[in-house]
Amino acid sequence: MYFIKQFLIAFIGTIGFSILFNIPKDSVVKSGIIGALGWITYVFFNDVLSSSVAGVFLGAIVVGLSGELFARFFRKPATVFIIPGIIPLVPGSKSYYSMLAFIEQRYTEAANLASETMFIALSIASGIIIAASVNKIFKKKKIIK
Amino acid sequence: MDATKKELKGLLVMALIAGRIMLRNGAETYRVEDTILRLCKSRMNIKYAEAFVTPTGIFMTVEYRDEVLSYTYRIKSRNIDLNKVTLVNEFSRNFVNSDMTTEEGSSILKEIEKKKTYSLPVQLFFGGISGSFFALLSGVRFLDLVCTFISSLSLIGVLYYLNKSKFSFFLKNILGGMIATILSIFFVEVGIGHDLNKIIIGTIILLVPGVAITNAIRDSITEDFLSGLSRGIEALIIALSIAFGVGITLRIYFQALGGM
Repeated sequence: MYFIKQFLIAFIGTIGFSILFNIPKDSVVKSGIIGALGWITYVFFNDVLSSSVAGVFLGAIVVGLSGELFARFFRKPATVFIIPGIIPLVPGSKSYYSMLAFIEQRYTEAANLASETMFIALSIASGIIIAASVNKIFKKKKIIK
Repeated sequence: MDATKKELKGLLVMALIAGRIMLRNGAETYRVEDTILRLCKSRMNIKYAEAFVTPTGIFMTVEYRDEVLSYTYRIKSRNIDLNKVTLVNEFSRNFVNSDMTTEEGSSILKEIEKKKTYSLPVQLFFGGISGSFFALLSGVRFLDLVCTFISSLSLIGVLYYLNKSKFSFFLKNILGGMIATILSIFFVEVGIGHDLNKIIIGTIILLVPGVAITNAIRDSITEDFLSGLSRGIEALIIALSIAFGVGITLRIYFQALGGM
């Protein structure tokens, strides 16, 4: 039940974002699904592995792979699906709290939070890189055949 | 001879317009280069064509028999409209697979360039929705949800006018962060809002540079390191300016009004 609720919230939130990025009308719902899939993966692995960095990493891989898959299937640029899909994983609240710790001069806590934010950002990057590289391998195989 | 030169120029200008639309509206570098090359090589048996694209400019060269033509185009204003990127992508596929003349192609592209984005009320509504639902992901009460909805909606409205008035992106994000914080403080002080931090987080998530982040990563893997680096810097500066806007407002609030 908890997962279904999280899925729906992330779905609607991502749809809102896809409107702000002016995504074509027929792709809005699809990008919502991708955002929700990525978020659910994050929530699940964050729970199981109790590590938000690992959760975001796996979530970003799911977003990247399903974005590339949708792009090929619906013949649209992959970024149409990946850009809104990645937004739920962006460490907005972590970076806010680290900024708050800085201005309240709790520097040790700020350093902890800021480094965690940085690692989450890096894991988003590596997740997307892995997804795109996997996609490239399959593209090349097709041409060789 | 003159006719072929004119045709060549028409083809080049059309490819340039296509690249310009894509680059301005948030396409990745390799996609812009690829589109320009595909459009150039699709007509007149052109063997050699090369394009070099960075986030701020397009350079392209085409060789036809003994002639070499090249163009440089500087991109100044940028905004995000992924619909146009998709449309140009479809157009280039259609153009290559059909006998369309370059004049027809150019007029189609110019129509794409004029296409409207989603209307302001729709953007306001969905901006409010996405801000409040992202606040909901971190778990807030119903009244805080309403506050986040209203403050995100107003933030989108303000950003709409800031975009029109040629503010630099740095100043725009500082102002965005400040406005988001001031609105959230207002709601909490009035007594409707409860959790100041979560209302602010839900509102500033709208300023997150999603396109810059994603494209920085994707440009770097396709070995367009120049674009990847400059987009990464863009994302970093945007994030810092949001933090600056929010931080300075909160600092004033804590200092002057005693805070929470």
